[in-house]
Amino acid sequence: MKLFGMEKDIPDYTIIVGCGRLGAYLANSLSDKKGKVLVIDRNKEAFRKLSSSFGGMTVIGDAIDFDILHQAQIIKADAVVAVTNNDNINIMVAQIAHELFKVRMVIIRLYDPERECVYSESGIKTICPSLLSANEIFEIFSKKETQEEETDSVEEKE
Amino acid sequence: MKQRLLLVGGKSKTKSLAISLLAKGYQVTAINDTYEDCLELATIDKLCVIHGDGTKPFILEDADASSADIVIALTTKDEDNFVICELCKKRFHIKKTVALVSDPKKTDFFYKMGIDSVVCAISAITSIIEQQAFIDKMTTLVPVGEGRLQISEVPITGNAPVVGKKLWEMNLPNEVIIGCILRGEKTMVPRGDTRILAGDLIVLISSNGQELAAIKELTGR
Repeated sequence: MKLFGMEKDIPDYTIIVGCGRLGAYLANSLSDKKGKVLVIDRNKEAFRKLSSSFGGMTVIGDAIDFDILHQAQIIKADAVVAVTNNDNINIMVAQIAHELFKVRMVIIRLYDPERECVYSESGIKTICPSLLSANEIFEIFSKKETQEEETDSVEEKE
Repeated sequence: MKQRLLLVGGKSKTKSLAISLLAKGYQVTAINDTYEDCLELATIDKLCVIHGDGTKPFILEDADASSADIVIALTTKDEDNFVICELCKKRFHIKKTVALVSDPKKTDFFYKMGIDSVVCAISAITSIIEQQAFIDKMTTLVPVGEGRLQISEVPITGNAPVVGKKLWEMNLPNEVIIGCILRGEKTMVPRGDTRILAGDLIVLISSNGQELAAIKELTGR
């Protein structure tokens, strides 16, 4: 337990674009960790995925609309996380946040990793679910193989 | 060599643009993600049509995007047009990218991100409508030289005081000249003895804000 100067491992003010499963989960966890969170989604219904203890803010609207971003006070944001289910919206939001509002940390989810080349040099971090899942699956494969090897060697001993 | 153009998305705009570009001798490929729209586009002679989402790199590859000279993104979604142009620029190295944008506020952002030409349909249309709505008064066509010079278009109605008068009989301010008269299909550069007729469209060149005085003299208002 840290007594002095509790080091935060989360940004002070995070804007999450898209309140899907990932967006809502992130928003709930950040809110639990006492981070300031704002969630943008164009569909009001999406916010019901937020837990009852969620202490952040919500904005209904299109995140590529500058008025909505101003309303979300994007200038004050330390991080913007674009996790809508539309890659193109994520790319555009990320570019706006990074280029126009100079947000320090911009993270986006892309279903299609091939589109990453659009902004590759610009310092935006990309999360690609299919690549992550594939890596995880390979991880499991390799673990299983080593386990099997272990059991094989045990059997040999016997 | 023939210039190659890529039109992505859009239906009626793409259709009329494709017809006009093909007529001018360009080689045109259209990409559209709605099958029915593709069928309709395919009825155009010599137009190459590809069915698919133009924001996906492999579809652009199918359309041989790297050999295109110009790409025009015409979908209804700003984010799609943005990604199409960025992909074409950065991955396929197309020299000129043109994007349609529906939100006028995004125009500057599109330019900033390196898109060569941004067309905002809404601001273009509203300015035309505005011009049309005020056409009975005056339409300022172009401000020249930081607005010190105005070129304006003035329609002459039947009850205007100058109808039937010759130019030298009129009392126009010194800083104003009538540059041209549009009469039906004809355009004429007038002389001092040219008569103004009802239905003429007068092109005024005026400086120092004298155009309102000149228009009052011409139309009586």
